[in-house]
Amino acid sequence: MEYLSYLVATGISTGALYALVALGIVVIYKATQVVNFAHGEMFMLGGFFAYTFHVMLDWPYLPSFALAVALAFGVGIAVDRVAFRPLMQRQTLVSVLLVMIGLSFVLKGVARWLWGGKGDYLTFPPLISPEPLSFAGIMVMSQQLVVLGAACAVMVAFALFFKLTRAGRFMQATADNPKAAKLVGLRTDRVYMYTFGVGSAVAAAAAVLMAPLTLLYPDIGFMLFIKAFAAAVLGGLTSIPGAVVGGFLIGIIEQLAAGYLHTAMQEVAAFIVIMIVMIFIPTGLFGLGRMRKV
Amino acid sequence: MLEVRHLKVWYGVTEVLRDVSFEVPEGRIVALLGGNGSGKTTIINTLSGLLRPRAGDIVFDGADVAGRPSDHMVKAGIVQVPQGREVFASMTVNENLELGAATRRDRAGIRDDVDRMYELFPHIAERRGQRAGSLSGGEQQQVAIGRALMARPKLLLMDEPSVGLSPIIVDMVIETVRALHARGLTILIVEQNVGVAAAVAEDAFVLKDGAIAFKGDAPGLIDNPEVLSSYLGR
Repeated sequence: MEYLSYLVATGISTGALYALVALGIVVIYKATQVVNFAHGEMFMLGGFFAYTFHVMLDWPYLPSFALAVALAFGVGIAVDRVAFRPLMQRQTLVSVLLVMIGLSFVLKGVARWLWGGKGDYLTFPPLISPEPLSFAGIMVMSQQLVVLGAACAVMVAFALFFKLTRAGRFMQATADNPKAAKLVGLRTDRVYMYTFGVGSAVAAAAAVLMAPLTLLYPDIGFMLFIKAFAAAVLGGLTSIPGAVVGGFLIGIIEQLAAGYLHTAMQEVAAFIVIMIVMIFIPTGLFGLGRMRKV
Repeated sequence: MLEVRHLKVWYGVTEVLRDVSFEVPEGRIVALLGGNGSGKTTIINTLSGLLRPRAGDIVFDGADVAGRPSDHMVKAGIVQVPQGREVFASMTVNENLELGAATRRDRAGIRDDVDRMYELFPHIAERRGQRAGSLSGGEQQQVAIGRALMARPKLLLMDEPSVGLSPIIVDMVIETVRALHARGLTILIVEQNVGVAAAVAEDAFVLKDGAIAFKGDAPGLIDNPEVLSSYLGR
């Protein structure tokens, strides 16, 4: 029982980070009908930006966090301008997908070039003392609690952004009905650009929160992307609450799979969930009940 | 107010509008009629900035606005009520109305205008917190008209407002158009339904194969068997 609660607690804190990455995938998919296959690289870059400021330049954690998120926002905008917008104007969804996949390799290469040669795996100092705490008999790492709290704060900020700000409303409206958005005078190309920016910023926030718990390496984006994509698919791919629930579920499922089946299952669990969802509940838990082509 | 001269619009390799010229004088209701595929929606979408003309002028309030993007058209005062309503289905009635004012910045004015829309359409006032997608076709039409009015248009474009609605609701739409006209709004209404056009419009242009084939006064159309049979397939 204690082992189970430990696994679940760990699953919840990593799941919160998957949820953040999944949010970006869902927001971009809802607005543009494109799965951003380079989204994991936004996570990876966010982590390396924070590493540069916090570890290499020895800046405090919070300013490093803020700057990494801001830079990732800029990278998201660049992705829109360089890869998405020029291709979407020619109406070729398949080309956009291929370019996104290509872009993810390019960004990995750039990361290796910029941050390589320092050993394959970079360590990020812990946020607070790594002492475990005991809650009602459940052992939790205090760092995990901090990460979970911060991830939830980012989610709430994200939700408030959509509910309360004009930009958030415009994004929601464009995702809902792009033609109507144009007819009320929204510049939908700008909305898409900011959507890419916001999605990347949230992925970077997840990376900077996760960095003290794990190791950074240029290929980290792909694994995170697969897990977040599984979370998004589980949640229905178009549902923001679905992405959050999906993220937590994937986090818990992979911990249970690793704890009770085999440690190797941790990396495979997300793929299995994607397959099962695709076959048995193709619209996901919170899906719209209609299928769209990816 | 609006003068369209020798407008040519292509969809890829297909010429949809060959040579279209017509005018909408200030304060009038003008109907644009034509069968399926005659180019009516193309005209309205070009006026809204969704399509770029290949040639021709669109002179609105003295300025040539041809080829400008949709946000410019809305700011200039040309606002469309699209065919099929196109409400923001997952958002509330209130949010839909507020989004109609997306190009405006005057918060207090926007709030007053939302209240005015609820006076004009009391029926949707009761449903202001409901998702627009859950409303009936007639209610959605009111939301779509209200949303367009929120931009404070000078010229309202209505693309087939009667399509897919029951006769009672069509009467409601006709009443609304008349009420807006009484307030001095200039309206260009695209219709396949000659009855609706004749009931509300003053002037009419009939479109066939991407060009204006007939122009005259709208109420007279219904008694013009030649126009009905040769251009509108009645």
